[in-house]
Amino acid sequence: MSRLSDWFSERVPISGDQLRELTNEPVPNHLKRWWFALGGTPAYLFVVQIITGILLAFYYQPTASTAYESVRYITEDASFGWYLRSLHKWAATLMIASVILHQLRVYFTGAYRRPRELNWVIGMCLLMCTLLTGFTGYSLAFEQLSYWGATVAANISDAVPLVGSFAKQMLLAGDGYNDRTLSRFYIMHAAVLPTTIIMLVAVHIMFIRLHGVTELRFEDEPADQPRHFNFFPDHILTELSIGLVLMILLSALATIFPATMGPQADPQTTPEVIKPEWFFYVSFRWLKLFSLTFAVISTGFIVGAMFVWPWIDRALVKATGIKEISVYIGIVGTLLLIGLTVWEAVATH
Amino acid sequence: MTVKTKQLIIGVLGFAFLGSLIFVQAMEVARRRQEAGLSPHPIAVPAASKSCVECHDKSSPGIIDHWEGSTHAIKGVGCVECHLAQKTDADAFDHYGATIATIVTPKDCGRCHKTETEEFMASHHAKAGNILASLDNFLAETVEGHREPFNPHSPTPGHDVDLVNGMASVNVGCKQCHGSKVALLANDGGLITVDDLKPDDSGRPTNSEALARIKKDDNGAPLLDTSAWPNTGIGRLNLDGSLGSCSACHSRHDFSPRRARQPENCGKCHLGPDHPQKEIYEESKHGVAFRDLKEHMNLDAHDWVLGEDYTQAPTCATCHMSGHSRNGGRVTHDPGERISWSNRPPISIVMDTDAKGAVIKEKDPELRQKLIASTWQEKRQAMKNVCLHCHTPKYVNAFYSQYDDFVVNYNEKFAKPGQKIMDVLHEQELITNAEFDEEIEWTWFYLWHHEGRRARHGASMMAPDYAHWHGMFEVAERFYQELIPQARELVHHAEEAGQTAQAEAVDQVIEDVLARPEHQWYESAKKLVEAGKASLVEPPPAAVAPDAVDSPANATPAATDDAATPAADAAKADTAKADDTADPATEKKADGGTDTPPDA
Repeated sequence: MSRLSDWFSERVPISGDQLRELTNEPVPNHLKRWWFALGGTPAYLFVVQIITGILLAFYYQPTASTAYESVRYITEDASFGWYLRSLHKWAATLMIASVILHQLRVYFTGAYRRPRELNWVIGMCLLMCTLLTGFTGYSLAFEQLSYWGATVAANISDAVPLVGSFAKQMLLAGDGYNDRTLSRFYIMHAAVLPTTIIMLVAVHIMFIRLHGVTELRFEDEPADQPRHFNFFPDHILTELSIGLVLMILLSALATIFPATMGPQADPQTTPEVIKPEWFFYVSFRWLKLFSLTFAVISTGFIVGAMFVWPWIDRALVKATGIKEISVYIGIVGTLLLIGLTVWEAVATH
Repeated sequence: MTVKTKQLIIGVLGFAFLGSLIFVQAMEVARRRQEAGLSPHPIAVPAASKSCVECHDKSSPGIIDHWEGSTHAIKGVGCVECHLAQKTDADAFDHYGATIATIVTPKDCGRCHKTETEEFMASHHAKAGNILASLDNFLAETVEGHREPFNPHSPTPGHDVDLVNGMASVNVGCKQCHGSKVALLANDGGLITVDDLKPDDSGRPTNSEALARIKKDDNGAPLLDTSAWPNTGIGRLNLDGSLGSCSACHSRHDFSPRRARQPENCGKCHLGPDHPQKEIYEESKHGVAFRDLKEHMNLDAHDWVLGEDYTQAPTCATCHMSGHSRNGGRVTHDPGERISWSNRPPISIVMDTDAKGAVIKEKDPELRQKLIASTWQEKRQAMKNVCLHCHTPKYVNAFYSQYDDFVVNYNEKFAKPGQKIMDVLHEQELITNAEFDEEIEWTWFYLWHHEGRRARHGASMMAPDYAHWHGMFEVAERFYQELIPQARELVHHAEEAGQTAQAEAVDQVIEDVLARPEHQWYESAKKLVEAGKASLVEPPPAAVAPDAVDSPANATPAATDDAATPAADAAKADTAKADDTADPATEKKADGGTDTPPDA
């Protein structure tokens, strides 16, 4: 045993102490509260997506003539195919939801403020990548709604001034939906975006390690209480508990509400109702409220503002003197997000 | 702002977001489940039908339950939309503020389903009501009942029977499949039908005198005669001049496409001793596959296109009506479009049809050619296009070769000789003009109408037991053991009655028939014994004459090219054969006076 340990230590020259030092980031006390410990949730779900995604990729065929049939095969014929597809679908939904919840927490606690502005920008990049991954994944099923959703998205891209036409070309690999579109979506969904996400997450965590987690001190905390606790094993147990609950929830959702097959994409027949995936309901409703050009430009403006919010926030505080102005704007923005999403969900057209 | 407050804001907004997410996902799951056919669709009750639905949900909930399961309910097509009538319609009445009619006709359905209605109206199905006053109907009206009400033999304890309705068998039997002539009660005790109302092209009655005679109940609603209603017969003669009833196949009030696609739907009428198409189908490999694979056949698919939505097995609808990948998914509501033989008459005829869709019986080749709007070959090709989804061209052609040979053998060996014997019996007045008053008329009817059809339908749909034991075996037995002996008995009686010339004429026909090579086996041994050339205990000489294979009657083409076979046979039958008995008048009479009759 000792010889084996020596053999291993010689080849991986890290001692236990060093390993503990490497991982044992002091964790601020507020993370003992479950609500603040959800930052790792998207990472959990991302791992689920990678594993289930690889298994699904064994069967999926990204061409217009075979995509739907291969998804049908996964759903109806392959052993546990329905379960894997359902896990993948529900994990996507939960991942996007948890990213949004994480971002809400970061926003309302002002954790993006100096010196963590860049990490906020990276977080925004991760949000965009996550949404894009969801969009491309939704399109891969080549169902009627996903096909027309992609077509509508391409037309929306086309309305973007200056770069719209190019963006549409890049999205569809041509002027319209064609045989190369699906393979483009597939490569984006299964290779480019996940790789980007992994790299961004690495940078995101690196910044967290460099800056440390933003410390929130509650007013009722005793002054003499230690301000930190250990990552290992204290916080890791919290994360594992959250992970376990998450896996149970995910499995239950996948089993009770398994992914079904919609009608196959029919380029000749426009469906009576076109709906994107739920996380685009907000922008879809926004588009229906205004002219296409205004909606596209305003959406671009809002997303741009979100990217540079740490600096906008500072300017707003300076200009208005209201220290928590971001909180008020955030409440309005979140209510708008919820309202528009629900509105689109109940709207029949 | 304290951290506690921020925590509260995050909590409230976070839970609000999670709540909205659960709501959105619930909506999404519900939508997907509907899309996949796993949950009922939302019902859209149109404003005009709201009160109908509310009231009938209490008084006749079955109607509403069925309607709620229909595509109509999803699309917002309610009660009034279909039952809507104009005040000038003969059967219109005011029902809680809405002008409606009880019977929904194809003309009503055609307001939305125009193409389907036009196809149906041109079909044999729509003309099925023409059987009324035919040979079959004579059986039910006269033989089984009586055309006029008659007095009962004796009282029925506990039930007042003043008069017997002799048309009961027709009303409950024939008309429920073939369709009734819808009739309203008149004030003078008579009936008012489409013949009296003389509707124009839009279905509006033009005879105001007939309208004035319509008897109405206390609520002002016209009274439908119970001889014709309830009735969903497929060839119903409606008051607005339209033919048929869409609900014959698309059962009200859910009009389920899924049900219309299944053989049980056709089995309401296409079964029984005279045309057991459903039982034949069930015996065939097609029916066996359907029973086994029904769950995989995507019966709820929107278009249900063979080759795209399913390939597991064909149903009646698949072969005769449904769209398939080779015709662009085009559905037809004329089930005769793909049928090449009509096996309904005593002697099968090919399905060359004229511009009105009627089967052409003209025998002169030139005149016949002029009348043809659609050839039997075109119809057969249409059917082959269905077959080719699962079978090779060689297989399909070989099947049709077997089928053609079978029908031609039946025609030439039994149908035409049988018809000829019946004709000469009529001509020589050895039997009366009244139908079914002589045993031989029942025998002949059984032979072609029951056993002959069973045999031909069995062959058309690959059911060997129906083709042989329930079919040709019984045809042969009926021919040799009943028809011929009964004809000879009539000859014998005629001879005894001194009608020598008539007896000889009939006997000559019988002997000519039996002298043909294909019948020689029957009495050749007996004749040899009678002539003293053989003993009863010795085996008979060769039953089949050596020249049989060269006889014109047996020279059915090898039919390797099946597309040429029936035409060649039909032409030969029409032009060359002395024993061709398919006289149009006789055929029409025996045929029930209609062209309705597909072979499957």
